[in-house]
Amino acid sequence: MRRTGFLYDERFSNHCTSPGHPEHSDRLTFAYRALEEAGLLAQLTLIQATPARLKWIERVHSPRHIFRFEEACMLELGEFDHPDNQICKDSYDIALLAVGGILKTIDLLMEGQLDNAFCAVRPPGHHAEANRALGFCYFNNVAIAAKYLQEQWGIQRVGIVDFDAHHGNGTQQVFIGDPTVFYYSIHEHPSFSFPGTGREFERGIDEGYGFTLNSPVLPGQGDEAYQELLPRDLVPAFASFKPEVILLSAGFDAHADDDMSSINLSTEGYSWIMQSLVELADEHANGRLISILEGGYSLKRLPELIKNHVEILLGK
Amino acid sequence: MFIDKSMTRDVLTIDPETNIAEASALMRQHHIRHLPVTEQDRRLVGIVTDRDIRSAMPSVLSSEEAVAKETERIAQIKVKDIMTRNVVAISPMNTLEDALLLMQRTKVGAFPVLDQQHRLIGIISVRDLMRAFINVLGIEEPGTLLCILADDKVGQMKRIVDAITEERIPFGSILVARYWEEGKRAVFPYLLTGNVARVKAKLEGLGFTLLNPMQWSLDQLPKKSGESSG
Repeated sequence: MRRTGFLYDERFSNHCTSPGHPEHSDRLTFAYRALEEAGLLAQLTLIQATPARLKWIERVHSPRHIFRFEEACMLELGEFDHPDNQICKDSYDIALLAVGGILKTIDLLMEGQLDNAFCAVRPPGHHAEANRALGFCYFNNVAIAAKYLQEQWGIQRVGIVDFDAHHGNGTQQVFIGDPTVFYYSIHEHPSFSFPGTGREFERGIDEGYGFTLNSPVLPGQGDEAYQELLPRDLVPAFASFKPEVILLSAGFDAHADDDMSSINLSTEGYSWIMQSLVELADEHANGRLISILEGGYSLKRLPELIKNHVEILLGK
Repeated sequence: MFIDKSMTRDVLTIDPETNIAEASALMRQHHIRHLPVTEQDRRLVGIVTDRDIRSAMPSVLSSEEAVAKETERIAQIKVKDIMTRNVVAISPMNTLEDALLLMQRTKVGAFPVLDQQHRLIGIISVRDLMRAFINVLGIEEPGTLLCILADDKVGQMKRIVDAITEERIPFGSILVARYWEEGKRAVFPYLLTGNVARVKAKLEGLGFTLLNPMQWSLDQLPKKSGESSG
């Protein structure tokens, strides 16, 4: 079995959204309970979060964005820039805690204490742009993680795989001109889904051209589309890029029972995807894989999907 | 939606006495396909397209000797020899709809825009119209498109808009398209949100049908009664 880290902190639930908002704290507490009931916690290295230093947030976000977010929380405005982005007094601190926990997880992995890890964080991050909160995201967790791997640990090439049902516009924006971070996303076709980016022809710009790759999936196409597109698009791209560490933006909202997309993936389909990604990390990155939670809103399905995800990381 | 708000003002022109090789180079350099031909005072006398020029060039299949001879011949050809003199031009006070329909009718990809004294003040091309319609659709802002099937009768739009407004969701745009089933309309609201699950359930609760995305079309003509639908 592998040494798998599990980042979870009860304080992640202190980022409050209103009842009825899909990005709700029950997502995490339900998932945690599922891992507990399955007896998996004892097999994981449990990681507690500590707040990130601002200098790491500033590697991706403008000081103005950070300040405005902090201020909106302090003033208890209830939302930040858009009704989708609900906040409470603690949201800023919790967002810092989520990033800090991920950076701590990276340290443990790079020190050789872990083989891989799952970070069960809130709020999610992949829609957050340098200067804008979007789609329930405030700080771009995975983008900050990639910068940290490069600057703190000297990693040259970071591969990001985003399998949330929605395109990670924020992550793509951060690395659009960067040939050292490969951003791959598979998601519901942008003509049918938020946020409307991630078309096949978005391949990066300038020096970063060819280091962004998008595989849009048409509504309802489910498992078969992923089984066709991942080997066709991602596998050869990473074979030539050779990432040293792979980061996942793990979204579970493409499941058939999740009403945030129409992709129609099955539970088994999710397991197949994760198994393929673990194999990809073994092949190129010495198994080094850090999975960071993005979406996934079906309280009925998410706990089971996360349990399966963690079991695959453990190599069970 | 007047042409003068969407046209390209900084328009490259060419003199009728210019050699076509020079015109060709100019088009390549600036990635354009249409060059208005003007005399002094920007008075329009014709238009030359990349296609006009290509048809005047030697075939790639010709022998080397033939090409050499042709090159000499081409050096003599001037823009005025191949340009279209009978230009379809448009006024700045025509509308985008005029331009769209005129393009469909004439199969021309760009219209010079002339003021009342017939002087060239701009050009409107497919590219300019696309930009305007991308803006109208709002698709460069993050959002989610829905397709709602509604009865073609007064008051349906209000019910849809009210339901969406109650959820505090901002609109990017709303398109209403003809639908193949008689008495129905396909309504496409582009909603500036990533959170549409609740509003979708609400609309269904109000009796609207949310069309399966794989059946969406902006281009369905209504079937006449008697034809089977579906």
